[in-house]
Order: sequence, then C-alpha cells, then structure tokens
Amino acid sequence: MKHISKFTFSITLVLLSFLSNAQEKTSKENINIEKGIAKDSIPPKKERYGLRVGVDFFKLSRSFFEKEYKALEFVGDYRITRRHFLAAEIGNENKTVNEDQLNFTTKGSFLKVGFDYNSFVNWGTMENVISIGLRYGASSFSQTLNSYQVYNTNPYFGETPIVLSGSKFDGLSAQWIEVVAGMKAEVLKNIFVGFSFRLNRLLSQKSPDNFENLYIPGFNRTYNGDFGAGFNYTVSYFIPLYKSTVKTKESKKKPNTKKEKK
Amino acid sequence: MKKILVLLLITINLSSCEKDDICTDETTPQLVLEFYDISNPSIKKPVINLTITAEGQASLGTFNGQTKILLPLNTSQDQTKYSLKLNSTSINGSNEDFLEFNYTRQDIFVSRACGFKTIFELNQTPLGLIKSEPTIEDGFWIQDINLLTSNISTENETHIKIYF
Repeated sequence: MKHISKFTFSITLVLLSFLSNAQEKTSKENINIEKGIAKDSIPPKKERYGLRVGVDFFKLSRSFFEKEYKALEFVGDYRITRRHFLAAEIGNENKTVNEDQLNFTTKGSFLKVGFDYNSFVNWGTMENVISIGLRYGASSFSQTLNSYQVYNTNPYFGETPIVLSGSKFDGLSAQWIEVVAGMKAEVLKNIFVGFSFRLNRLLSQKSPDNFENLYIPGFNRTYNGDFGAGFNYTVSYFIPLYKSTVKTKESKKKPNTKKEKK
Repeated sequence: MKKILVLLLITINLSSCEKDDICTDETTPQLVLEFYDISNPSIKKPVINLTITAEGQASLGTFNGQTKILLPLNTSQDQTKYSLKLNSTSINGSNEDFLEFNYTRQDIFVSRACGFKTIFELNQTPLGLIKSEPTIEDGFWIQDINLLTSNISTENETHIKIYF
C-alpha cells in the first residue's frame, strides 16, 4: 500500500511537471505570436530551387596520383522541397588491387540514385547543406585475375611460384544500399564544395566462378559480411531554375525564436 | 548531425580493422598418413625413426613414436615421390620404401587474405599411388596400403592407412 501511494505520488509529480512545462510553452508561444504580428511587414523569404551538378575531386585526384587507379564520378542533385533533394552519382572506375596473394583488375561503371535530407537551418539567403540520405547503387563490371600465388602452409617444396592467370570474368553486377552523410557549402556564387561519407550494404551480386568480387566500382572494397565504405569530395555548380516563397508560418516563427534566445 | 558523423567515422574505422587481412581459413591440404599394425589392423602403430624425404629435396624430418604424419604434395608438379626409411638411425636394420603420388591439381579461391589453395585428385588406382623399392632391394616394410580417398581436399580426414 505504502509503495502504491509512493508510486502514485511520484507519477502525479512527474505528470504535473509536464503540465507546468506545457503551460510555459504555450504562454511563450502566445508571446511569439503576439510579437510575430508586429514583424509581419517583412517581405516573405524566397528560396532558390534548381539543379546542382559536379565532379568528385577525390576520385579525380587519386587517378592522377595512383598509378593503378582511374576513376571519374559526376554528382548531381535536384531540390524538390525545402529540405529534400533528389540525388544521383554516376561514374566509372578502373582499379588494380595488389594483395599479398593476388593481383586483379576491376573495371566498370556505376549509378547511384536516392535522396538527401538537409537538416541544416540556413540563415538569410544561405544555401548550405548538412545532409543525410539514402542511395540505391548498381554496378556493372568485369574482373581480371592477373596473377596469384597458391597459399601453402608447408613451404617444404619452396615458395610456390606466382601463377599468371589472366582469366577474365565479364558480365558481373552488384546492387547495394548506401547511407550518406555529407555537407555542401557555397564558397563562390553558385559554386558549392562538399564532402560525404558513405556506408554501403551489399544486397546482391553476381560473383565469378572460383573467384570473388573483392572490389566493386562505386561500392569500393568489399569486406566480409557485405559491408563497404566510401568517401567523396565534390565541387559542383548550382543552376537556379525557379524561386519559391517560404511558407509564412515558418517565416514568422523563425525570427521570433531567435529573439527569444537573446 | 555531429553525432551521426562521429558514428559514421567510428564504423568506418572499425570496419577497416576487420581481420580479413590475415589468412585463417584452411588452405592447401597435405596428405594425411596413418600407421597401423599389420597383425592387428584396428590398432595404430607408432613409427620408429622414420626419415621422410621427397625426391630431390632435403629431409622432411625423422619421425619417432608418431602414428599420423602429414606429407606436403608439390603444388607445381603433378607428381611427388617420397622415400620412407624406417629405422633410419640403425646401420643394418634400416629399410627404405618409396611412395610415388601421381595426381591432378586444381586451384580453388579461398578468400582475399588466403588467395588460392591447391587441391589434389590422385589418379586412378594403381597409378595414383605406387609403392616401390630402392635399387638395392631390401624388401618392403610397408606391407599393405589402404587408400581411403583419392580426393585430397582437406586435412581433417585420413587419406591413406599404412600397415606394417
């Protein structure tokens, strides 16, 4: 009985605190609305909508510095709502991987489509983006096993010779999902610089016989358990197409919340 | 947002620490020999100072008191010939027999770290496993051979039983 009353008491206490909180908020909001009316004379905020296209400079620079890597990736996004962007990447990769036991070359193209959600609240007319998004990726590629060395735990007959295989596996493919976290900042008028981190999860793949897809264009190196990771550094150009007025309700609220903090 | 970025960075770091750079899978198998007593075929019999040498190689070792020995097969040739010399430390009592293995090889992909392994398929009996004597004949110490499998793909099973 004692416990029950204790419980009831504390629950009531907690609930009461919510109540008072809620009241406080509503009173604040009331003030906001009152103050907001005074600010109504400000012209409604307009935001630009359009297409942003760019190039991944991370892949481009690696192509210059790494001898056995050639890749190009174009990125693009199209703003559909205040916070949502349709986004896509398309590219081509040619990479030779040299492992202890293996040497192989992967060549192919990839396409990723999805969306970005901008969680960054811009001030004034700024158009910066801190986003999280999803992509569906697909790649079509070929693998060439250049050479390999048989792994032998007992080196009694000496080190095993390197076998020059040269067998080529064509018509390979892979599909995956990517979670993207990135940011873009406008550094010059209409020119954006940004980067993104990606975590990939392989959905399906067509593997070669007696070999594996150890590298997939667009997906990058595969790890045990079908996971992968990626990074890009983009420079892109924004093509403004039209302007849209921000809804009055939101434009009213924002300057007020700022004032409240002061 | 910052939390998400930090989380992502941690996961990327973790995934790069994954142990797929070290080969831990089973790779090229060796031939597994087991030694049994000819007078009591169900009982294992330990070898005495058995020196094993592949043709053209230094000695693999001298085994004493073991009932199970692993013999590596040559992964760059289709034939491996071993000399098995029993009582090798004794001047008069030693006895040398040859075992010749003829096989086909196949390279199988294992993983990124291990690369490929070779598995062997012994040729049809009797050509897959040939027992022979040295030029100065001293009689066979190996009295019977039981080839359990001609498919040498794992070390988890015995491939050949030798009775002496």
